[in-house]
Amino acid sequence: MQINRRDFSMGMAGALGAATLAPRRAMAARDDQLNILCWEGYNTDQVLGPFRDLHPGATVRAESGTSDPDMINKIRAGEINVWDLINLNQPWARDQLYPENLIKPLDKERFMPFFEKMSPEFAKPYPLAFADDGALLGMPQRYGPFSFVVNTDKVSRETAEDQGWNLFLDPAMAGRYAVLTYDNWNVMHMCLTAGLDPFKPLDEAGMAKFKETAAQIFGGAKLLSDDLVALNTALINGEIDAYFTGGTYTASPARYDGATNVRAITPKSGPVDGKGGVVWIELTSLVNNPDPSNLAPQFLEYVQQPEICKAVSFAEGTYNPVAQMGNPETLALFDADELDAIQWDSLEEELSRALDYQVIPDYDALIDIYTAARRG
Amino acid sequence: MMERLDRRQGLLAALPITALLAVSFLAPLLLVALFSIMPQKVFSVLNMPDFSSFGVIVSQGYYRSLFWSLSMAFAATVILLVVCWPLAYGMAKVFGRFSLVLTIAVVMTLFVSENIRLFGWVLTLMKGGLIEGYMRSYLGAGPDGMLYNVPIIVFGLVYVYFPFMLFPLAQGISMVPDDARQAATDLGATRWQVFREIDLPLAAPGILVGSLLSFVLAAGAMAESKLLGGQVVIVLADDVETAFTFGQNWPLGSALAMVLIILVGTVAVVGLSRVDLDTIMGRKR
Repeated sequence: MQINRRDFSMGMAGALGAATLAPRRAMAARDDQLNILCWEGYNTDQVLGPFRDLHPGATVRAESGTSDPDMINKIRAGEINVWDLINLNQPWARDQLYPENLIKPLDKERFMPFFEKMSPEFAKPYPLAFADDGALLGMPQRYGPFSFVVNTDKVSRETAEDQGWNLFLDPAMAGRYAVLTYDNWNVMHMCLTAGLDPFKPLDEAGMAKFKETAAQIFGGAKLLSDDLVALNTALINGEIDAYFTGGTYTASPARYDGATNVRAITPKSGPVDGKGGVVWIELTSLVNNPDPSNLAPQFLEYVQQPEICKAVSFAEGTYNPVAQMGNPETLALFDADELDAIQWDSLEEELSRALDYQVIPDYDALIDIYTAARRG
Repeated sequence: MMERLDRRQGLLAALPITALLAVSFLAPLLLVALFSIMPQKVFSVLNMPDFSSFGVIVSQGYYRSLFWSLSMAFAATVILLVVCWPLAYGMAKVFGRFSLVLTIAVVMTLFVSENIRLFGWVLTLMKGGLIEGYMRSYLGAGPDGMLYNVPIIVFGLVYVYFPFMLFPLAQGISMVPDDARQAATDLGATRWQVFREIDLPLAAPGILVGSLLSFVLAAGAMAESKLLGGQVVIVLADDVETAFTFGQNWPLGSALAMVLIILVGTVAVVGLSRVDLDTIMGRKR
């Protein structure tokens, strides 16, 4: 066959035309696609593999973000057309995504029954999974107390729990701890350290107290890092004795590797209703994609099954309790080492001493003070 | 006449790719520039510009991060010059074929991601790591951890940007004609005089290009201060990241980035205006 220039040009034009049409076709076929933006874990083969087998014709893709705001930036920057599900810590959904119409409510009839099989804290159901207008914003699954982590060979669990946040203000601890720079968490925890309620607006004296505390904590820190493995390593090799902040999420990988002297601590007392610890709870929500995929709600149902709950809980990287462990079938899938890694023995007690991670009304002002203190 | 037409055709033929490059290189920069003059914490460039971010930069003491970024980059560049000079000289004038082996060896390190290489250093230098662990095991005592200070960050910068100084420098030194060096020696110049009056001026384009590359890259670096330095000092790139993520303040992040771009861009433009790039590319002698 001979191709002359005219044929070639026609062919190219045709190809170009097809290329411009292609996205539209892909959009019409959105039930064959599912794109999940999540914290690490949901993107593993253990979690996605069986779902792909259930939907052999579909393309199921998951990408893990490195922080809540990172993921929100993607949605804000126009990727609302790309993603179908987003898995984030609960306040971001309530505070930023839902008010800005970036996520949409779940069908209550379809999803409320799942709450009944969850742990008692969630079965009520968990109030912060709902917006103020009553809409169900997402399904809870992974959660964990998040306050600070110590090496119990250096600082005993009792001492750490009794002293609470004051541990980091003790001059003897200067140069013996690190700061895990999950900045949006630290703002809250520094408020608690300063004896302030982060979930209420602060007055001028409160701000000054926060500034002083932030300066003291950064001043006494031996190192800062956003890498939990680096901090666990430093804890194990004795470079530091504790890190501010952390929880089962950060301590569990070290514990599962056998370093059970790495322990997440929830203070026994604190400034907010006597509580000083914090607990995070992830919600997986439907992105307000203009061309929604039917697979998204199906995936939310799918991850409620015991085997999949276990896979989500013990995916790569970090290990976390899941709300569905309230179901005895799910709990039976965990062995003793796994339960010890996530500190199952004290989990309920720790939760009772922990505050829900909520919106911090003065976050904007506090993060400025925080970053200024970090610069020294 | 024909020649002029030819030239015009060349220009026209280059137009599509020029447009593509302009869009792909300049558009993101332009967007950052636009965001930098938006009011605080907005997520669209369709607001009234108010330059408030630059006020925040001054009032919130971001000059500290800028100071650390620039001074550590400067220190790293000076150290790199001193360290690379003998090796570059050897590669250009002495080693002959062996310099190819060296080139490959140095380039090979670039095949491994910067973070992985820095993690290698963390494992080597940390308490209980390769060095301290062996010293404690054989000598009974070792240094109390070598990480998490400013000198180690500068060391990391020197290590990572080594190739970016070495190769331009070797190229620069290879442009120094041996005849000129020999003539100077014959006329009684000391080694120092040959170095100062022949090598340095004639290799200047290489020195400048190497220094610029290292300085510009080091000024925007973040991994070294994060991994080796434990953020004992905060660099500007780190502040940019925080503003875009935890701060959810895109205008402030953009303004911080613009400050660095403008400062480093000025240094680069002033530097490059002083060398003839064609010379070092070997197109002109």
